[in-house]
Amino acid sequence: MMRMEIALFLILVFVALIYFSAGRKNTMLHKTFSVLLIAMLVHLCFDAATIYTVNHLDTVPRLLNDILHRFFIGTMVLVVYLFYQYIAILTEEETGKPRHLDFGARIYLAVAELGVMILPVHYAVTERGNYSDGPHASICYVSMAFYLFFCVWLLLKNWTQIDRKKKFAIGAALAIEVCVSLLQAVNPTWLISGMGLTLMTMSFYLTLENPDILRAELTEQKMSMLYLKSQVNPHFLYNTLDTIRIQAQLNDDKPVADLLMRLVDFFRLSVKVDRQMVALDDELEMIEAYMDLMCYRYPELVCRYDIDPDLGGVLVPNFILQPIVENSLLHGLKNKGYRGEVRIVAQKSEQQKSCMEIQVIDTGSGFEGEKKTKVDQMLLHCDKQAPKLEGNSIGILNVQKRIKLLCGRECGLWYTENEAGGVTAHLLLKIEAVNTGLEGKRER
Amino acid sequence: MKKLKVLLVDDEIMIREGFKRLFDWKNHGCEVVGEAADGMEALGKIDTLCPDIVIMDINIPIMSGLKVIQLSRMKHPQIAYVIVSGYDDFSYCQQALRLQITDYILKPVNYEEFGICIDNLKISLYEQRAASQEKPKEQEERVIEGITRYLHDHLAEEVSLSILAEEFHLNPQYISQLFKNEIGVGFLSYLTNIRMEKAKKLLISSPLSVTEIAQQAGYGDYRVFTKVFKKTEGITPSQYRREFLEGMEGA
Repeated sequence: MMRMEIALFLILVFVALIYFSAGRKNTMLHKTFSVLLIAMLVHLCFDAATIYTVNHLDTVPRLLNDILHRFFIGTMVLVVYLFYQYIAILTEEETGKPRHLDFGARIYLAVAELGVMILPVHYAVTERGNYSDGPHASICYVSMAFYLFFCVWLLLKNWTQIDRKKKFAIGAALAIEVCVSLLQAVNPTWLISGMGLTLMTMSFYLTLENPDILRAELTEQKMSMLYLKSQVNPHFLYNTLDTIRIQAQLNDDKPVADLLMRLVDFFRLSVKVDRQMVALDDELEMIEAYMDLMCYRYPELVCRYDIDPDLGGVLVPNFILQPIVENSLLHGLKNKGYRGEVRIVAQKSEQQKSCMEIQVIDTGSGFEGEKKTKVDQMLLHCDKQAPKLEGNSIGILNVQKRIKLLCGRECGLWYTENEAGGVTAHLLLKIEAVNTGLEGKRER
Repeated sequence: MKKLKVLLVDDEIMIREGFKRLFDWKNHGCEVVGEAADGMEALGKIDTLCPDIVIMDINIPIMSGLKVIQLSRMKHPQIAYVIVSGYDDFSYCQQALRLQITDYILKPVNYEEFGICIDNLKISLYEQRAASQEKPKEQEERVIEGITRYLHDHLAEEVSLSILAEEFHLNPQYISQLFKNEIGVGFLSYLTNIRMEKAKKLLISSPLSVTEIAQQAGYGDYRVFTKVFKKTEGITPSQYRREFLEGMEGA
């Protein structure tokens, strides 16, 4: 029987390693599970030890056996209490109701632990094996029943309000534990209480606490923060800016009025994020508004455009140029005090017939040392990169991913260094015929 | 030509002030006769002032701008409505189009573009007038109608005041004045307007390329055409065509 305990212990050590190495949200629920995992590991140690000692009553000193049993039962009560805590916190998170039963559960925990430590230990000796019984051992049955009843009560009471997946996970775990406890009560020599608790821990780990779910939660939390940041009602923004613009113009301040107009243009074009593809014209219009504003802020900054007019209607992934241009400004021209030029060139690709190439050429400071290799590697292995939410590489990585997704694998973004200094960003994109869309539509 | 009466409807006083003081109404042959800050007030002012043009915001208190148009349409079918709104949702535009409004302008309003819109409005008013009164009463009326018909027929060719002068045996200055008096807009504005109308019609109804359409609308250089189109319509010709097609798909 000890072999099973050792196997369970090893499995849980492995689970604990994975669990503690994964990033997770810092919530009560996850903290409780962490404590539960550790308590479970300690419990399994005592479990394994008592299984040995209880069957060697004649060789192991009585005192040592007693102490091990007291800790075995003591940790078991603690683990079951933590199960209750975990389910209670989860229920609270799901329903928003406060935890009414906590006080009772804690009082009981204190009483039970006290009982475990002082009540006399008695061992039953049978042909099939020995086990502890009497008032001391009954504490573990009572507390098991006590906490399991609390858990089932919580679950059934809030059945409709808990997320489907979560309630079935809890339900299954509780069902397993109830079955194992009953079997153990009927056949005390089986000594399977540790297995039941491990199975319950494992079922929580697999359904509610595994690293994928933790990571998803974490990402969701960060995304929702980003989302919230952008949740200012755009109409409030335009309307207010427009009012200020009119006031400026009424005050005969034409430059301010014009700048505000460009700002509104930029916002209006950039909030059209619901579309995946936009016309190159639209994308360039937004860039023009953006660059007009930047050039006004930094008068020595110049922007030139060299666009093949036939490409105006070509559909490109939405919002791919702005991050690139912003990168050129922040990492190239900023280091030169915003003195220099950004040139945006769009032309049909010479190598690939059905493609066009957009270049964003800056006269900035260029790449520093190892930076170019790093960026190259990152863009080359873009699909292997974990979705990072920090840092400024997110912008170009995102652009690269979207180009690959929407235009195909042969398209993409890469950087070269200019002979005269500065950097050129190349974007190779598919030309999706749009100008001739009318004929195509008619044929259908 | 008598001045057109304009009613401004917007719940923000600053926007109304901007319209009143920053746009050269006089030069465009208009005058602002009243303002309204909500739907109810707008309905009342429309009844009492009988304006020719109503500049209308959609999102106003008590009753939406679209509802005001719908209600006042029945009583005053001749009023031209120009919607000025911060919303460029397709559903709004669709509703507005169903109410047969004259134009839909997005906030923030560029007063130069707004001037073009007013010019277009006058040209369409003129064309309505020309179409309704079959029998010409005065000599002058006939001349301007002859000239505009000639322009419609010779859109693809090069036209100028001096060519017109030769054709109609009139003084170029006189023709220019005629446009100002009869239609209320300059000769060039009129010409650009009918060229753009022609181009728009071709863009949505023919498979011709933008370059060919530019030629048919009288622009040899299609880059110039694109520039003018962008200025008057707010979008490029290919965008215009695409948006129309997308609208068809959505409908």
